[in-house]
Amino acid sequence: MMRQIRSALARITGLFAGHREDDDLREEMHAHLDMETAENIRRGMHPDAARRQAMLSAGGLTVAAEAVRDQRGLPWVEGVVADLRYAIRTLRRSRAFTTVVVVTLALGIGANTAIFSVVRGVLLKPLPHRDGSRLVYLRQSMDGPAGTNVGFSVPEIRDFRDGARTLGGIAEYSPFTFTLQGDNDAIRVDVGLVTGNYFEVMGLSPILGRLTRPSDDGAGVPPVMVLTHDYWMKRFGGDSSIVGTHVTLDGKSVTVIGVLQPAPFFPDRIDALLNMVISEHHVSAMMVQGRTHRMTEMVARLAPGATVEQARTEVAAVYARMQGDFKDAYDAGSHYRVAVIPFKEALGERARLTLWLLMGAAAFVMIISAANVVNLTLMRGVGREHELVVRAALGAGSARLRRLLLVENLVLTLMGAFVGVLIALGGVRLLISLAERYSSRADEIRLDSAVLGFTFALSVGLAVLLSFAALLPKEGTIASIISAGVRRISGSLSKHRVQRGLVVAQIAVSVVLLAGAGLLTRTMVQLSNVNTGLRAEEVLTMQIPLVTVAELLSGVGDASAKDRYDRMRREVGALPGVTQVGIGGTMPLRNSQVVFDVKADGKALAVGEAMPRAEFRTANPEYFQAAGIPVLKGRAFAATDRMGSGRVVVINQTLADKFFPNDDPIGKRIAWSGDVLRFTPISGDWRTIVGVVGNTQDGGLDAKPGSVVFMPFAQELAMGGGLVIRTDSSAASLIVPATRVVRRIAPTAPIENVMTVAQIKDQSVAPRRLNAALVSLLGILAVIIAAVGIAGVLAFSVSARTNEIGIRMSLGADRGRVQRMILKEGGALLAIGLVSGVAGAFFAASVIRGLLFGVAPHDPITFIGVAMMMGAIGIAACWIPARRAARIDPAIAMRA
Amino acid sequence: MADKLEVKQGTLALMILRTLEVLGPLHGYGVARRIEETSKNRLTLNYGTLYPALVKLEQEGFVTAEWRPSENNRRAKFYSLTAAGRKQLAREASDWHRTADLIAAFLAPRREEA
Repeated sequence: MMRQIRSALARITGLFAGHREDDDLREEMHAHLDMETAENIRRGMHPDAARRQAMLSAGGLTVAAEAVRDQRGLPWVEGVVADLRYAIRTLRRSRAFTTVVVVTLALGIGANTAIFSVVRGVLLKPLPHRDGSRLVYLRQSMDGPAGTNVGFSVPEIRDFRDGARTLGGIAEYSPFTFTLQGDNDAIRVDVGLVTGNYFEVMGLSPILGRLTRPSDDGAGVPPVMVLTHDYWMKRFGGDSSIVGTHVTLDGKSVTVIGVLQPAPFFPDRIDALLNMVISEHHVSAMMVQGRTHRMTEMVARLAPGATVEQARTEVAAVYARMQGDFKDAYDAGSHYRVAVIPFKEALGERARLTLWLLMGAAAFVMIISAANVVNLTLMRGVGREHELVVRAALGAGSARLRRLLLVENLVLTLMGAFVGVLIALGGVRLLISLAERYSSRADEIRLDSAVLGFTFALSVGLAVLLSFAALLPKEGTIASIISAGVRRISGSLSKHRVQRGLVVAQIAVSVVLLAGAGLLTRTMVQLSNVNTGLRAEEVLTMQIPLVTVAELLSGVGDASAKDRYDRMRREVGALPGVTQVGIGGTMPLRNSQVVFDVKADGKALAVGEAMPRAEFRTANPEYFQAAGIPVLKGRAFAATDRMGSGRVVVINQTLADKFFPNDDPIGKRIAWSGDVLRFTPISGDWRTIVGVVGNTQDGGLDAKPGSVVFMPFAQELAMGGGLVIRTDSSAASLIVPATRVVRRIAPTAPIENVMTVAQIKDQSVAPRRLNAALVSLLGILAVIIAAVGIAGVLAFSVSARTNEIGIRMSLGADRGRVQRMILKEGGALLAIGLVSGVAGAFFAASVIRGLLFGVAPHDPITFIGVAMMMGAIGIAACWIPARRAARIDPAIAMRA
Repeated sequence: MADKLEVKQGTLALMILRTLEVLGPLHGYGVARRIEETSKNRLTLNYGTLYPALVKLEQEGFVTAEWRPSENNRRAKFYSLTAAGRKQLAREASDWHRTADLIAAFLAPRREEA
């Protein structure tokens, strides 16, 4: 061991030993020679012969010196350093080549690094939770509106806890909203009400103070609050003295007990976590015993040794037993079901398709830029053939030449990677804003060592690929090339299969990218053209929740709230330019999230038919006009529809078609129904339909409008509330005066989502627009690189064939014919590329089907358009070298 | 020339160490001559074989080198054995003897044949 270390050290110092050691060696060898010569003379040889004999037995001084030098230092390192110096020198000499290659690589590597950092942050990185891979998210769903995630009730969770052995612990989490009273403002905070075991099960620790524990469960304990890391930073500026202080939530004093480590939440981002006692409702018998009172999210930790598969089987069995025992709670027609999803997957599920789409697009750009660089290298390789042959003739083995190329290519790709990472640094910021729409893990995105490792591996892989793409002079052919004594003239492209193949691949991949970009762009256009169902010229909306969720559930504070809403209506209505002010529980183009079973008088459900459900919305008489929702039949609400008068409703077209496909709905009666009404202050009385209004795209522009029941704002509970302000001037200019009026009437209430209807609509299109823009950007990048690729390869072919073209021209070929010949050569590649590209795009389009709207995955307009565009660009790229070929002067060409 | 042998890998170091043990400090030429003589000229050593081996032994600390005037008053580099080299020589020699015995036993004509 000592011996190895000692000799390694000696070799490393040997690296830096310079000429002195070489002089020493020379002297030593010459001494040897002299002594041997002297000995030979002593034996009677002629001095000349003696010297010659001595030289012969030495076996070549230079070779020996080289062998000693190899032994003395680390020959590999010395060689690489020399290669590196040489590579930098050559690359600096061919500056144009270097720039093109580095820029091409930087674009590809930059796009891939940026997008990979997002994929890693959102989808791949292990969760910050202790043993986060053991966490599973349970989701109960049903058919129909708002059915994707209905949550769980406390009795259901109890059954799972008792019945499913594979779930080691179940964390309960009930999303809730409070108003946090600040010194001079009030804001809404989104919180989770959690059980005491929550943090233990989730595997999360505090960074300050403590977390809730089982002793914080139940009624009769003080309410406590744990801040999420994000909210602590955002609202309290990371002030650690916040722990132990009191804040006021919905008028109640709550102690801040700690700050949680950074962690993502699902399904929604939240600001803080509290024990249940803050909400009387959550500790009431209604909540704790009502099986249909589903307000809770469930995350479970797998029991030691249990797999997700086992948990799925067991949960399904327990769930089937529950459905058998409580038939009323699970409407058979609505197909209630429970899914068990690894928590990490659940966190990434909305982002997955989009991110893999972008990753795929970026990988395609990488392929195209790598292909381009390979082509450039190959062309340069032909120019360098002579140099490489000479090197081979001077004794460089092919491994040695390979290493030289590898070092050169490493310099190129690492330079590309460096610039690429700079590009990625800028791109990541844009991508984080995209990811935030899809995942609460967006703040985990960063260019960390794993991402940089990925980039480095990518660059090294590329360099290896590039080095092996180049053809080295074959051992046997060296002599013939050298003896020919001339630079070999390479023939037409047909001799360069690799280059042709790469050009075809570039075109094909560009077509796939363009087709994807085209489909996504058309999706976005289709989406913006969707009729929202409203006349939305200049309409401003704002939400002012005067009633807290807790008050809402208990039904108190309603009357005074309604008075204040009505004052807002009158005073905002008096502002100049305002034509109508509507009041409603939910703003147009937004989901109310409040959905109940609904039944029609005299209409029985068919066997197995799903229980109809409808969104609960409230509106004052002016709401429909202000929002621009057309009244199709009957009337809107009137001032006479008040508390105490006959209960009336207005329904939308979807519900009218569902209940009364053949009759006039006006005058018919409907009622809310279902067990869950018990937990609300809403009555299940019959209500008479007085009007039918048009459908609006409340669930997003790409969703089919669901059933909606409007009830008079004055007659029913004000489920939240907001203003819909129509003006004949600019809606945006009303923001300041309208907010001022509202602030005066409700000084402490939060004012939220102050947005014009146009902005709300745009919000629904924005993520798609970003998708389309990003993929289009990558597509355009690909096309540019591919066009450069085609032009470059053809230009190379032309210059290599200059001699041949000269001969053809002198034999009578005219310029047009030469030009056609080159065009044909490029055209053939273009055609093959287009055909394979369209085939690839057909496949790719069905993969991204889920991201499309209003466009068939194999939309002919897109495909034809893309093929024509690529064709046109391709022909343009062929044109330049073809013209150059036609301008060749045969006399000069042949003399050269 | 058919009876000339190439020096086997690993045996050269042993020969050099042994030569230095027997003859004391010696220059490269002397080492080469001595090895050739001992092998009755069946081995030839060119510089490309000898000098890297000497450098390696020096790196491993088994020999040291210094410049001294040679017998014919020319400056030459003399190599001498170190304590570590002496130990290494003993170790390698005994290894070699054991290996040689083993191989000899293997290649010995079987009793029946004899």
